[in-house]
Formats: sequence, structure tokens, C-alpha cells
Amino acid sequence: MNAFETAAPADGLSRRRGLLVPALILLLVFAALPALLAGFDKGYFYQIANLALIFVLLSASMHLVTGVAGLLHLGHAAFYGVGAYTAALLTSKLGLGFTVTLPLSGLVAALVAFLVALPTMRLVSIYFAVATLAIGQMLYLVMLNWVDFTKGPNGVIVSKGFELFGVSLSGRLAAYYTVATVVTLSVIAIGRLSHSYYGNALRSIREDDQCADAMGVSTVRLKMEAFTLSAFFAGVAGGLWAHMTGYISPGDFKFSESILILAMVVVGGLGSLPGAVIGALLLILLPEGLRALGDFRNIMVGLVMFLSILLLPKGLLGEVSALRLVRQQLGAAWRTTGPANGKGEGIGWR
Amino acid sequence: MFDPYYLQQLAIGLSLGMTYALMAIGFTLIFGVLNVVNFAHGEIYTLGAFAGLVLISATAPPIVAVILGALAIGALAGFSLERIAFKPFRRFTDEASLKSRAMRESTLLSSLAVSIVVREALEIVFGSQMRSVPFEYLINTPVRVGPVILVTGDFIIFGVAAAMLIGLQYLLTRTRVGLAIRAVSNNPLGAKYVGIDTDRTIITTFVVGSMMGAAAGILMGLYYGAVFPAMGFTPGIKAFVAMVMGGLSSIPGAVICALILGISESMATTFVSSGWSDMVAYGFLILTLIFFPNGLFGARRERV
Repeated sequence: MNAFETAAPADGLSRRRGLLVPALILLLVFAALPALLAGFDKGYFYQIANLALIFVLLSASMHLVTGVAGLLHLGHAAFYGVGAYTAALLTSKLGLGFTVTLPLSGLVAALVAFLVALPTMRLVSIYFAVATLAIGQMLYLVMLNWVDFTKGPNGVIVSKGFELFGVSLSGRLAAYYTVATVVTLSVIAIGRLSHSYYGNALRSIREDDQCADAMGVSTVRLKMEAFTLSAFFAGVAGGLWAHMTGYISPGDFKFSESILILAMVVVGGLGSLPGAVIGALLLILLPEGLRALGDFRNIMVGLVMFLSILLLPKGLLGEVSALRLVRQQLGAAWRTTGPANGKGEGIGWR
Repeated sequence: MFDPYYLQQLAIGLSLGMTYALMAIGFTLIFGVLNVVNFAHGEIYTLGAFAGLVLISATAPPIVAVILGALAIGALAGFSLERIAFKPFRRFTDEASLKSRAMRESTLLSSLAVSIVVREALEIVFGSQMRSVPFEYLINTPVRVGPVILVTGDFIIFGVAAAMLIGLQYLLTRTRVGLAIRAVSNNPLGAKYVGIDTDRTIITTFVVGSMMGAAAGILMGLYYGAVFPAMGFTPGIKAFVAMVMGGLSSIPGAVICALILGISESMATTFVSSGWSDMVAYGFLILTLIFFPNGLFGARRERV
């Protein structure tokens, strides 16, 4: 994190206080939670923790394209699926390990997204949403029906767990740490993207793309980049999912999953990264917590979604408060004084 | 001249297209004409089918009564849907919030949330398995027309779709209610200024559109002989595609595109396995959006 070191020394005290929340979160994810999980030592809890983390990454990547760039994306789960299938097929057909398949699953998903974006990125509003829905369904149909290649509805068994350059990380705790590390790094990257000059340019497209165009923002290019980047992170999440569960099938990547991810971003607050993370945790952990309710838990998910839209139209942690929080806690890029921007007010990471 | 096989495929395609059209008419009325994104239409369709099934298994009434019952449930469902998922988001009536994207997206998501709740509730009450409709109510007695074989349901669905289309065109272009609907869809604020009760107009549109959705649901249930909680999803997507291809606001356009969709899907199954036939619909959708962004029959739009 370069930006922290470049902050002015005079800000030392507030800087140290300002890093409290991120430090606490890192402590929670990398020390407290694993300790708890190891304490209970149940495979089920590990599964839930990993699942929640993967959906945090999916929700964060959706935040980049829907929350920040304002492109309503109804086919996100398909890119997650492309990533998962890339990892699974590379493992089962070529015997490659996690170290190779994870970056490749992100890259393949990004490539597919790029090709898809070429013709569709000039559409706006609901037309774009419909196009992404169609593309998501088409990718899902390919996974379901191209039986020779993807094994269709039978799914693919992923025989290899996590590993790093040949060192196996497939124990429960090691797997948790692998997922947590990849997800945390990706979320930090998404955070840097969405709280930077780049993110501001995307926000300007969301608010008024014609105006942004007139101001010299290359809207189509930026939209394509946001779409591709978000697909990259969704693909990474898919790679994690494939190696975590050891078995994937097209049912994991259908339309309702896209909607679930969208609901996470909306419940958390459109345009707010902390909100997207909270939304993902809520919508994954709530149904698990409500398991006692049996069949009623899915209704609860719908109700939570409905009530949060009705009562909290800005989301659990709206964009404005999220930006304030980020500036307070990771404020180096927004400091008024600093070698980089002289006396002027900073407006984010460059 | 023609291979009878292709004629039969054509007939199957036409009847398939008719079933999409049935759904697309109500969908286009709410979504396209009123310009409100409603994701819960598929659930209205399912509700209509289940209402009919419950009526049949409870009292075994004549088929007309079954359809009337489904219509009543559809009207009720449309009314409550509007009240629950759409009305609360019209809190502000100033110009900025009427035009804001945020409001449209919130109704999109609220209707989606309501549709999840309804579908899950139906699954709890009726179970997620297919439930079969009693044999004597099915409308699939084969009828031979020249070289092809149709079933009675095809004629009923054709009749109902045609009646709906004509009735709706009459309603929209020849009555005061229709004028009000078109005014609200064109400019909600302007409609308010000239004294139209916009709330009431929107509710009327929802009720009419949902009645059509419910009628489509029960007819499909009787036609295919199976009713299940997730039955609204696929026809919903197809209706959506037909609506976009037809140009969002044009109901006849949506019907024609639904027929095109049905025919091309049934023709596609001649060449590829049936699993791929859905690809045709999505392919059409993408091609339309890229090359005919206004839809095939829609009015010119400023930007798409």
C-alpha cells in the first residue's frame, strides 16, 4: 500500500488512528475467525466461511460494474461460471494445479467479457441490462449443453485442492487461508480501483454518461474496462469455488445466482464497497443462520431484500457514508497536504 | 411442394409462439407501455395456473369458471403487486425523482424480491414438484388439419391471444382509460398536470396486465398438463425477448416477434438438440439489440 507511506508526516497521529478499522478487519479475517473455526473444527463451518468469502469477492466485483460504473449487470454469475469451468477443465483435462488455474480462470473470464463487451457496450440503461441477461443465459446454456466439453448437467469433478507451487494447501485451515488471502487481495485491488481517479471517472459515467463524454472521459472504453475487470474478479472467485468444493455443475451459475449477487450489492448499498461486502455476508450467513426455519429461509431472503430496498433505499451502508468511511480510514490519498498534490484537496488514489 | 414434416414443425412453432405471445401481451402492457420494469409477471402467471388447479381439485367446475377464477386471482395479484412493490417507491413525484434511474432500479429489485417471496411461498404450500392437471380438463385433443396435426388447445390459445390483442388495442386507442394509460406512460408528470389520476391509471394497467398473465398461466397449465412453482421463469424470459424485439412499447410487435421466436425455435430443433433451442431466443435478442436497437416495430427512440 504505497499511498500510506507517502502521507505527510504531520498526519502521523491521525494516520495511525485512521488505520484502525482496516487493521481490525484484517485481524478478524486472518486471526480471530480461523481461531474460532479451528476451535469448533467442523467442516461445515469452514464451508460456510469459504462460501461467504467467495461471495464477498463476487459482490465486490459486481460493485465495480453495477455500483460504481452504473451498468446494471444481470449475467454476472455466468462469468463466475466461466472462471470455475476454466479451473475445473484445466485441472481435469490437463492436470494443472491451482497456482496456474487461478490466474487463468480470471483471464479467461475477462477475455470472454471483453469479446462480449465489444458489440454490446454501446447500449445504455435497460437495453444493456437485457443484453447482459441474454449473454449470461447463453453462457449458461453452453455450460449445460456442450456435453462433450463441459460434461453438461453432470458437472465436472475437480480432483485437486488448493496448492501453491506444488505445496499442498488442502487442509481445512490452509484452504481457508488461501481463500481469505486471494479474496482480501482482490477486494483491496477493487477498493483501490473504485476509490481512485479511475473510480471517479466511472462514477461520472454512471451519473451522466453524455456529460462525461463531453468532458473528455472516454465512456465506452472505461465501461469496457470496468466490465472486463469485474469479470476477471468474478472468474477468480469461480476458480476458488471450483477448487474449494471439488465439484461444479451448471446449476451453480444460473440466473438466480446473478440475481443473488445483485441483491447483495443493492442491500449493501449501490456504489459502496463496504456495503457490498456487508450485503454478501448478510445474504450468505442469514440463510445459514436461519436453517432452523427450514423452508422459510428463502422467503426470509426475499423479505430482507424487499425490506432493505423499501426502508433503506441507499442500502445498509450508502455510498456517501461509505466514501466518508474510506476517506477517514484509508485517507492518505485524500489528505490536503502532501508531496504529491501540494496544498490542494486530494480526490483519491491516482 | 413442402415436406409435411416441415409443415408440422411450422405448426408446432406457431403454437409455441402463440403461448409466448399470450404471456408477452400482458408483459408488454405493464413493462413496455407503462414503462415500469416488472420482474414479478412470471409469478402472476404461476399464481393464475395454481388458482385454476386449486379450483379444479376443490369443486371441479366447468372450464370457463376455472378461467374466470384465474382471472380474478390475477386481478387481485396485480393490485397487490402494485401496492406492495411499486406504490411505495412513488413517494416523490417531482420531476427529478420520476426520471431518476435509482427509482426504476428500486422497483425492478422490489418486484424481483416480491417474486422470490411468492415463488418460495408457493413451493412451501404446493411443493416444488410438478402437479398434474386432471385429465378431463386438458385441452390437447388432437385435431387433423390437412397434413398436420394440431390440438384443440392451439385453437383456444390462438382465439384467446387474438381476443386479448384486439381488446387491448381497442382499450388503448379507443377508450379514455387507454388514453390515460398512454398519457401516463408518455409523461407521468404531464399526465398529472392535466388532471389524470396517475395512481389509479397505473393500478388499472397492472390489474389488466396481470389478468392477462394469469389467463396465460392457466391456459398453459391446461395445455401442458403440468403446474409447478418455477413454471413462470422460461416463458417470462421469452416474453421479455419478444417485447424487446418488438420495440418495448408495441403490443402487436411483441406478438409478431413471439411468433417469430416460436417458429425459429421449433425449426432449430430440427437441426440441433432441443437443449440448444433457447439459444435462438437469446441470439435473436442480442442481434436485435445490436442491429435494430429500436426493436423491429418500435417507435424511434432517442438513445438505447
